[in-house]
Amino acid sequence: MKILAIESSCDETSMSVIEDGVKDLGTVILSQIDIHKLYGGVVPEIASRAHVEAITIVLDEVLKKCNLTMNDIDAIAVTYGPGLIGSLLIGLECAKTLCFIYNKPLIPVHHIKGHIYANNLVKRLEFPLIALVISGGHTDLVYMSEDYSFKKIGGTLDDAVGECYDKVARILDLPYPGGPKLDKLASEGSDTYNLPKPLNDNTYNFSFSGLKSAVINLVHNETQRGNIIKKEDLACSFQKTVCDILTKKTIKALKEYNVNNLVVAGGVSANKVLRKNLEDACLENNINITVPPILYCTDNAAMIGAAAYYAYKKGIIADLNLKAKANVSIEDLDN
Amino acid sequence: MRYLFIDTSFGYVVSLIENDKIVCINKSEENFNTSDKILPVISSMFDNVDFKINDISKIFIVTGPGSFTGIRVGVTIAKILGYTLNIPLIKLSKLELLATTSVKTKYVMPVIDARRGYAYVALYDNDLNIYLDDCYDVLDTVTKKYNDYTIVSDNSNLDIIKIIKKHELDEAENPHLLKPNYLKKTEAEEKLDRKNN
Repeated sequence: MKILAIESSCDETSMSVIEDGVKDLGTVILSQIDIHKLYGGVVPEIASRAHVEAITIVLDEVLKKCNLTMNDIDAIAVTYGPGLIGSLLIGLECAKTLCFIYNKPLIPVHHIKGHIYANNLVKRLEFPLIALVISGGHTDLVYMSEDYSFKKIGGTLDDAVGECYDKVARILDLPYPGGPKLDKLASEGSDTYNLPKPLNDNTYNFSFSGLKSAVINLVHNETQRGNIIKKEDLACSFQKTVCDILTKKTIKALKEYNVNNLVVAGGVSANKVLRKNLEDACLENNINITVPPILYCTDNAAMIGAAAYYAYKKGIIADLNLKAKANVSIEDLDN
Repeated sequence: MRYLFIDTSFGYVVSLIENDKIVCINKSEENFNTSDKILPVISSMFDNVDFKINDISKIFIVTGPGSFTGIRVGVTIAKILGYTLNIPLIKLSKLELLATTSVKTKYVMPVIDARRGYAYVALYDNDLNIYLDDCYDVLDTVTKKYNDYTIVSDNSNLDIIKIIKKHELDEAENPHLLKPNYLKKTEAEEKLDRKNN
C-alpha cells in the first residue's frame, strides 16, 4: 500500500510516499528556516504564507522523485494536529483536494504519533515500548502496548525541552535555531555551573521553565557583578542538567512498566549528548533503544506516512469534513 | 464551457457555470470554519450536475484581498486542482468582484475593512474598467479624492457572470506561482522593515 503523506504543522512543507508503513519511496522537505531566522523564531502568519507558495512544488517534486503519478497512490495521509493552525490548514486542504479528485481514503495523523513512527522506518517497532518524544513543542513519555495504542504517562508541565533549548540559546546570543548550536557549544565546555535539577521527583513529568529562569538569573547576576560568563561551560552545565533528568525519568518509566524497548523521537533527539546518555543508560539496563536518523528527527512527512499505515489498519479514516486542530492529545482517537 | 468559481475571501461563494449560466451556487456569509466546510461544499455541488471535476475547463479563483486564512484556503485548493488536473487557473480580485454590483453612479468603490482606519480599496466603473488599482490605504484619504461613486462592501449583489466574461480570455496562471493577494505584509515583516530603515 502506497501512502502519500503531507506534513505542514509548523515551518516545514514536506511530502513523502511510504509503502506499507516501512519503506520510504521518496521524501521532500522544504524548510522555511532561512525565512524565520530573520525574526528569531517561527512567525505563524509568515509560515502559513510560505506553505501556500510551496505546496504544489513539493507535490510535484515528491512524485517525480518517486517516479509515480497520483494514480499509483492508494491513500492520502495528513497531519491534522497539533501545530500552528494556519500552517496545518494548508496541508489539510491539499490532502482533502487530492482525496476529492482521486477518490482515495483520507488518513488523519497526529503529529506526535508520526514522530514515534519515524522509528518504524529504521526498524519495525517492538512492543511494548516507551517513547520519549522531545521537540520544540513537546516533551512526552508515551507507553505503547501494541501498534497505534498510545498512553501518555508523563509530559512537561510548562516549556517543551526544545523550547527551553532555544530560549537558553538566545540568552547566550546564539543565532536561531539555537538548539543545535547550543549542543555544539556545550561540547567545547565543561560542567562548572551549578544549576537546579528540574522537577526531580517520582512522577514521569518534566518542568523546564524553572531551569530556564535559573540560567537567565545566573547570566544577569554575573553580568551585574562584572563577571564574564563562560558560555561553553554554561551551555555544558545546562545540557547536562537537561539530559540527566530526561534520562533518569525515561529509565524509571522503562523499569516500572517493565518494558525493554525505548524509542526516541522529535527534533531534540538529534542532540548528541542526549543520544549518548540514553544509549549508555539503555546498555547498562539491557534495553533496546532506537533513535531515528537526523533526517527523520525534525518534522517530515515520511513519519506521517509510516504512522498512517497503522492508523489505516485500525480503521482511522476521515472524510472531507476533517478539521485541523492546534491542540490535540496523543490519546485522541483521531476521528 | 464549464467553469468552477471559488471565492473564499470572506465566508465563501462557490459556483459551477455552464455556457455562461450559473448551474449551481453555494454561499455562506459566516467567516469562520470556511476551511472545514469548503471541500465538502465543492464536492457536493458535483452531485447535482451531470459533469465531474475533470470536465471543468477553467477555474476562476479569487486570490484576495480578504481574510488571510480564507484566501489561502481557496488558493491552495485551486493550485492543487490546477496542477493535478491541468485546469487553467484565472485569478480574480475580490475588489473587482465587489465592483460587479450594479450602481447608479458613474463609479463604484469596493471597500473591505482592514481595521484601524485602513481599507482594501479600489475604483472601477460599471464596465469594470479600473481607475484606482487595488490598494491598502487610509479609507478617508481615498474617498476624498473621487466623486460620483458608490461604496460597495457587501457580497449580496455580486455578478459572477460579469466578472467571468471580463476575464474569460485572461492568460492562465502557473499553478506553482499562483499565490494569495494579501495586499499587506505581515506585522512581523512591517516591524522588520521599520527596523531596517
